[in-house]
Amino acid sequence: MASLTQSLPLGAPARPRLKRLADDLGISVVLSAWAAVLITLIDGRPGELYRQMVYSMCIGLIAVLLIDAVRLQFWDDPVRRRRFMLPFLALVVLSAPFAHYSGCVLGEFILGAGWAPLRDYPGRMHVQMILFSLLGICATFLLIMNRERIARIQAERGEARARAETIGRQAAQAQLRLLQAQIEPHMLFNTLANLQGLIAIDPGRAATMLDQLIQYLRATLGATRAESTTLGEEFAAIEAYLGLMAVRMGPRLAYGCSLPAALRGARLPPMLLQPLVENAIVHGLEPALDGGAIRIEARTRDGQLEITVADSGCGLQAAADGHGHDHGHGQTGGHGIGIATTRERLQALYGERAALTLAPGSPHGTLACLTLPLEPA
Amino acid sequence: MNADRYTPCRALIAEDEPILAATLARTLGALWPALEIVATAANGIAAVEQALALRPDVLFLDIKMPGQTGLEGAEELLERWDGARPFPQIVFVTAYDDYAVQAFERAALDYVLKPVSEARLARTVERLQARLREQPADGGLAQLVAQMRALLPEAAPSGRLHVIRAAVGNMVRMIPVQDVVYFQALDKYVNVATAEGDALIRLSLKDLLAQLDGTRFCQVSRGCIVNLGQVTNASRDAAGKLTLALRSRPDKLKVSPLFAHLFRQM
Repeated sequence: MASLTQSLPLGAPARPRLKRLADDLGISVVLSAWAAVLITLIDGRPGELYRQMVYSMCIGLIAVLLIDAVRLQFWDDPVRRRRFMLPFLALVVLSAPFAHYSGCVLGEFILGAGWAPLRDYPGRMHVQMILFSLLGICATFLLIMNRERIARIQAERGEARARAETIGRQAAQAQLRLLQAQIEPHMLFNTLANLQGLIAIDPGRAATMLDQLIQYLRATLGATRAESTTLGEEFAAIEAYLGLMAVRMGPRLAYGCSLPAALRGARLPPMLLQPLVENAIVHGLEPALDGGAIRIEARTRDGQLEITVADSGCGLQAAADGHGHDHGHGQTGGHGIGIATTRERLQALYGERAALTLAPGSPHGTLACLTLPLEPA
Repeated sequence: MNADRYTPCRALIAEDEPILAATLARTLGALWPALEIVATAANGIAAVEQALALRPDVLFLDIKMPGQTGLEGAEELLERWDGARPFPQIVFVTAYDDYAVQAFERAALDYVLKPVSEARLARTVERLQARLREQPADGGLAQLVAQMRALLPEAAPSGRLHVIRAAVGNMVRMIPVQDVVYFQALDKYVNVATAEGDALIRLSLKDLLAQLDGTRFCQVSRGCIVNLGQVTNASRDAAGKLTLALRSRPDKLKVSPLFAHLFRQM
């Protein structure tokens, strides 16, 4: 489960406050410009547009700078938003006359009248304009906060989707691994039947066979839990399986495994190699009248791990034609299912860095080649 | 009962796993001392050849074998057996396998599960001895045929085939399906026999059967599907084998005992 929490994104990274303040000031500039145009239209003096624009911008920028700075510094907690509502509204209302007054002073200065406190402020006209400013400020903040809400919802949505995808992928992995680690009842009962026979005929060999069965079961059943295993362990499990099959098939099966000592500790996911070997036996060698040989080899090539499973059995085409007995299970081309599952797992685990190819062997049979990134112990 | 135990009786074991064959022979030896194991066959093809050559009274057939399955072997044996000697009593042997077990129970065929329990095998031996003693006129063949027929898969129609596209040399001939006299399986191909000549298609007989109209075409042996409208008569030879004569071809088609019921008089 450790990997589940690790790989989940821990919330979208918060944008820096200064960046958000700059964004909000941008919104205030746009809305102030609209307000100036509106006032000029109502006023009916087009020549005053420039002056209106300067006053409007000054008032808007001062108000947003003040309110937003306080909001972002002290009240920026999406969880406790409701508790900050009242002080925030109070700040908006109080900042309207302040912003109007200082905006007008700053505007006069910019327009060349110099620094001077306004006379007879606030007059009747001024009260109207203060109320209009308050309206503008409220509109600006409604817009700002709505934008923030939408961004937040989108971020949460994206996060939920990413989480669902991760969980889905992990579930699929587990499912695939389980699928590959299934022990075929037919194989198990046939092995037990051989064991039953050997106990009477040759108790020494029966004991060896029982050891191999235990090793095979442990590797196969344990594989559903383990995240990864070593090549040495995989080869030991495969040799146990081949040992069982050699007792069952008698002289019809010859086998050999080759694993360089340096690769014993290399790590790989469990149940990747064993299905290839079981395929070669079940679809390649068991259906062949005279059986044949199987050889499993691991080596490094171009810094990658390459494992080949070569059998001299009846080959891909014959298996696809249904000569590999499926008697009634409808598993024609059983090669296909196992191979597709293995390819899916490789894709999920390594993307393009791993591959599985199947080719006809020479002079007959099948050659499976598995290429993986080399992960030393 | 005691007399049975010492009536000489011959058995053939078909089993690809040598230890299982030896174990079955050994257990049978203990349960039925008078039974002589005349041979052990290691695959489905050798099983049929040995059975034809040695004519055993009892045949233990493993289901899953290289070459062909025990069921396919039994079908072939039914077709190739001449009527001079009674057909062997067949006992199927299978490891755990839901499908096979259900099929056998449905067909009431005798079968033994691997690993073989001695008590279960003893019951089979008793049943075999009883049946060999009764020895019905046809050697129990009619019963076996009925049981085997129950095992044949029902052809699930998967779309109708109207025109056969068959290779003749390096061209493709289009043959309306009603013009086909019969289909004959040849290794990997199926021969399409018409009044005008032969052509090959690469399709299994099983897949072909599923696409044909079951009221016009029917299987008459493991390797042959005939157009019923082309059959003029069915005749039985001295050995009781049924053959079909055809309207527009001189060939005669052999009918497997499994399908003989289709040509019985109404």
